[in-house]
Amino acid sequence: MRSACLGWMALLLPLAAQELKLPASFDKLAEKASDVVDITMDSSMLQLASKFLSDKDPDEARIKKLVSGLKGLYVKSFEFDRRGEYEESDLESVRAQLRGPGWSRVVGVRSKRDGENVELFLKSDQGQVSGLAIIAAEPRELTIVNIVGPVNPEEIRDLAGHFGVPRMDLSFPNTRKSTKEEQQ
Amino acid sequence: MNDFEKQIRDALARKEPSPGFEARVLAATRRVEARSSWWNGLFSGRARWASAVVAAVVVIAAVGWRHERDVEERAAGEAAKARLEQALKITSVKLAKIQEKVEAHESN
Repeated sequence: MRSACLGWMALLLPLAAQELKLPASFDKLAEKASDVVDITMDSSMLQLASKFLSDKDPDEARIKKLVSGLKGLYVKSFEFDRRGEYEESDLESVRAQLRGPGWSRVVGVRSKRDGENVELFLKSDQGQVSGLAIIAAEPRELTIVNIVGPVNPEEIRDLAGHFGVPRMDLSFPNTRKSTKEEQQ
Repeated sequence: MNDFEKQIRDALARKEPSPGFEARVLAATRRVEARSSWWNGLFSGRARWASAVVAAVVVIAAVGWRHERDVEERAAGEAAKARLEQALKITSVKLAKIQEKVEAHESN
């Protein structure tokens, strides 16, 4: 019985470990923010949403395919009226989790001029991408995205142009696992 | 005649019913008829209509409950779909921004 429980824990822990835990300080940020988006979608919620996506509509079919293998999708975004409403220390515990096993920072762009710091992290498991995280820290906006499950950033990128987002010709350096640090 | 034959003869001998047997049989028959007429009455006349109305109400209630559940499920599904689309929109915007920054850096 005990070994069975340990076996289940061993199976479930890697999945649970992919979901980022946001610090308690984020609750205080929500109070300061003028606009908060908090989206938590576990696999059952993703499946429910998927049922209502049409196979006939090409855009919806694409989303359906994209989310079919996902186990979780979490977005937390704050918009502030003023600059400097959040501290770098608010992000430290998130970054610490993304320094854990399996995670790699594939893109990091820091712009001193614009006061922006955007980072893309990918989690790999046996050579496959099994998770994605974005930290986008801007002067008046802070966004954390966490996708749990097999995901290709380029597929999400391809959704651009379908949600009123301008289409861009993008390519992510996820295969070469490089880190770009821009200091302007 | 031996004992065995005597026992058989006694067992098969005609016996008169006990006093009041006929009355008891008739009374029992009347009770059965009375129960039967109550059961039949349920499906005849006004009672038949009442039964039909009750059945119709049960069916309508079941259909209504099912419809309400479908409506609630659809609303929850549409809400989940909208949240999914919003989440993917935010993600794609941020990815586009990252890529834009990377390209700007590479072109410099």
